[in-house]
Amino acid sequence: MAKPPLVVARHRHLKWRVLDPLEHVLMVLCGVSIAGFTCSVFLDVVTRTIGTPFLWLQLVTTGFFAWGVFIGMAVATRRIDHLNLVEITKRLRGSTRTFLETFNRLVILSVALAMVVFGIQNFMNDLGSFRAPSLIPLATYTASVPIAGALIVLFCIEQLVNGWRHGFEGPEDADDFAGIVK
Amino acid sequence: MTNGMILLLMTALFLIFGYMGVPVAFALMAGVLVACALTPISMQSMIGQMFHGIDSEILLAVPFFLLVGELMTSADVTNRMIRLAQTMVGHMRGGLAQVVTLFSMFFAGISGSSTADVAVLSRTVAPEMTREGYDRAFTAALIACASTMANLIPPSIMAVVYGATGNVSIGGLFLAGIAPGIVVGIGLMIYSHFFGPVGLRKPRASLCEFADAVRASILPLMIPLIIMGGILTGWFTPTEAGMVASVYILLVLVPLLARGHIPNLPRDFVYTGLLYSIPLALVAAASAFGWMLAYLRGPDIVSGWIELVAGHDGRIIMLLLVLLFIVIGDFMDAVPAIIIFMPIVIKLNELGNINPLHMGVVLITTLVFGLITPPYGLSLLVASKFVGVAFSRAMFASLPIYVVFFVAIAFTVLFPDIVLYLPKLFLPESVGCFKNPSGSGYICPQ
Repeated sequence: MAKPPLVVARHRHLKWRVLDPLEHVLMVLCGVSIAGFTCSVFLDVVTRTIGTPFLWLQLVTTGFFAWGVFIGMAVATRRIDHLNLVEITKRLRGSTRTFLETFNRLVILSVALAMVVFGIQNFMNDLGSFRAPSLIPLATYTASVPIAGALIVLFCIEQLVNGWRHGFEGPEDADDFAGIVK
Repeated sequence: MTNGMILLLMTALFLIFGYMGVPVAFALMAGVLVACALTPISMQSMIGQMFHGIDSEILLAVPFFLLVGELMTSADVTNRMIRLAQTMVGHMRGGLAQVVTLFSMFFAGISGSSTADVAVLSRTVAPEMTREGYDRAFTAALIACASTMANLIPPSIMAVVYGATGNVSIGGLFLAGIAPGIVVGIGLMIYSHFFGPVGLRKPRASLCEFADAVRASILPLMIPLIIMGGILTGWFTPTEAGMVASVYILLVLVPLLARGHIPNLPRDFVYTGLLYSIPLALVAAASAFGWMLAYLRGPDIVSGWIELVAGHDGRIIMLLLVLLFIVIGDFMDAVPAIIIFMPIVIKLNELGNINPLHMGVVLITTLVFGLITPPYGLSLLVASKFVGVAFSRAMFASLPIYVVFFVAIAFTVLFPDIVLYLPKLFLPESVGCFKNPSGSGYICPQ
């Protein structure tokens, strides 16, 4: 049986094909992050058990973890996989739907812009903070926030432009969980 | 603007945005950022709080327990456990319904994710139930209700998040969740026996068939032993136990039981990578929301209201919190609910002199009920989708089963000695006991 592609086919009408490779790369990075911290926690336990613990492995672990969360947050925005309280917009049609979908994405866009602007400020401040024992700059972790913010901004604009051009309605309106739970 | 007004505005904005369809993580952050504009707190610090909210080694257990569920599901190792459940209870009245419950108890000991449980059962047992004439609505309702045990019986993702944010022993929460998990399991089996469809009566499995099924599923059933054994013996933290379970599946289970699945392993990692980021993005946003809630003295305001009604009576405080969390669980995912309301819970624990571990397991039991109640009953939504029945029909079918959850919640509130028996036995420090300075054993609070 052919394996389904990593770039999800749902909400195709809201996506630019040119950004598909980016989604693919981000999905792979999600996998790399979890594989990375699985290995680092494994090595942490092994080195501790044999009596020569590498303390810096914990920094590697938290690094993979934090980057994985924020990259996943960004790619989940493109795939429209984030958890919602209600899926009210999917039951709407026409101008009401367009208004609400636009409004919702503007809220997401505002939060994402705040992640970019204030995330960069945090990143600059954190260049002077270091994590013991390896003295890795804290900025190497907190850079994940503005980068995720920038990606979310990009994906929001993509969805807004395509939604205005093609409408937000799509066949997947009746199929909410297929993406998250394969 | 007073703190109370800002608090109200922040909460109202979150709910309005959330119910307009903004994803929860962004709705939470939008409320926080508006509150920042009205207080001396900088937006920069709140964006920083998003990162600090997930910068915790304990939370690493969440992706590991999701990975365990994903690997077990996609490698189809779970079929062996379903077969075992069939040989044990398949001959009873409503045999397949009993299988659903018993399998969920087994699977709950392996994965901390209710959604993974729903996915497995919907793909495997649900079609067979339909063939045997079970009403699809009942099937979806039962699968959703049974899947809630994944968050009670260890390992539980809710327990990890509760322990990480409330500074409560995760091992203790795992052990304390066993009793309400078993109550829900037995309750569902009793309900299915007396009030569920009859199904096809099948002959009882022979001893040989049972022995075969045990032999086939012995390797997967080692996972709960690895997880809880590692934690209880102090070999592993919950995070490391999750990692060891994942590595065990990768190095032992898949090569021995599902060799053909090896080429698909990278894909499992990719999907789990996405899957874990979704609840943890919620954790990041909810942590900023919770921080702002605490800054605006939300815990003082809410505990003041509760104190007016309950005074310092721990049991009434607990009862009021249960009612509050039943309502919250109806409208919100459990993970952000735990983080947002944790400052309030801690304050009320102090007010009523309540054991934090007991409070934790009571609230987790209450929140799992929210997985099957409308409008935000995630397990019921997913189950109805997979089984192919309207959500409203599945919801009506699940209404009588709510009794099981009311009993489980009442049991957890009223019998702390039973609920905390295992933590007291294996991890005495987790319930507030301390080593007797003048001899052996522990001194425990009454």
